[in-house]
Amino acid sequence: MSRMPLTTVDQQSEPIREFMARRGELNLFRLLAHAPAVFGGWAQMIDQILDSPTFTPRMRELIILRVAHLQGTPYELSQHMELARSAGLTERQIDAIIDAGDHEAAGLSQTERVVLDAVTELCTTRHLREESFATVHAALGDEALTELLMIVSCYYGLALVLNAVELDIDTTSRLQV
Amino acid sequence: MTRIAYRRPEQMTERARELTLERGNLNVYRAVANAEKVYTGWMEAGSAALNSPVLPVRLRELVVLRTAYLMDCRYELGQHNDIAPTAGVTGHEIKALTSESGWEQIDLSDTERAVVGLTSELLTTRSVSAALFDEVHKVLGSEATIEVLMVIGRYAGLALMLNALDVDLDESDRLTLPGASR
Repeated sequence: MSRMPLTTVDQQSEPIREFMARRGELNLFRLLAHAPAVFGGWAQMIDQILDSPTFTPRMRELIILRVAHLQGTPYELSQHMELARSAGLTERQIDAIIDAGDHEAAGLSQTERVVLDAVTELCTTRHLREESFATVHAALGDEALTELLMIVSCYYGLALVLNAVELDIDTTSRLQV
Repeated sequence: MTRIAYRRPEQMTERARELTLERGNLNVYRAVANAEKVYTGWMEAGSAALNSPVLPVRLRELVVLRTAYLMDCRYELGQHNDIAPTAGVTGHEIKALTSESGWEQIDLSDTERAVVGLTSELLTTRSVSAALFDEVHKVLGSEATIEVLMVIGRYAGLALMLNALDVDLDESDRLTLPGASR
């Protein structure tokens, strides 16, 4: 049970309603709409992350699922599990991502495995060793590496908000990407 | 030593350059600007958070310092060690907040104590006890509670980026807080 009440959609300002009309009337958005002074900036950030062509939807969802799992956040997992499936990750691959099963046996690519290792080390130790950084940097280059960090940063932080509030999982609303 | 090349303002799009120069040409921005397709959204989110009048600047700095310490982020600590005094946080308080449990011994208001306690619990256990959450929610209300949680989330996430890129602390440039006094 959520520890805070949620706002109602029709009481929101036009920009917030517009965002929810495009992305879905998710409990998360109805929660964050309690803070209208920061909602708009946050929504711009999410829009850019979801719309960026740098990573395939498959790679983006792989990153988000791994962060959500490491942070122990059922809300993020429930929304992104379906997105991961529609982005082409198989059940076996999803299991491998969230249980740290055998990534190679599940048929994840070399780059996907490098990304998963970097995400895991960063989220669990808060740092990347020199050699871990060199490996993921060589695989992605400056721009994609920094964008990977941005996705991790965003979903890691969001997981903390969700865990604190114990937000209820949406019954029907789904994030539109 | 920062692990990637910095983007110079003249290499940025106009909006990215504007947002960067508005906040000061800090190493953090020049490093994160490498993610050029998502950089302006992230900067807009930061501007909204910095300019929001909802949280007292002092409370916000207490949360940032505690988050920087618990995320082991040298860059955030270096910046906010100098920024926090402009928001009324004393050197003694900074020292206490950036130690394991020293903050429990200093003289904070009840609200500040509850918020710092929530920050500590959330970052060390990834969750918060119901009693502590309710205490913070009751004193702050829903809007400020969400903003506190978003400050924790933003600085915890930023700490991961800064740590991963091992961004060098700026020699003397510091972020200027809207609403703070020098």
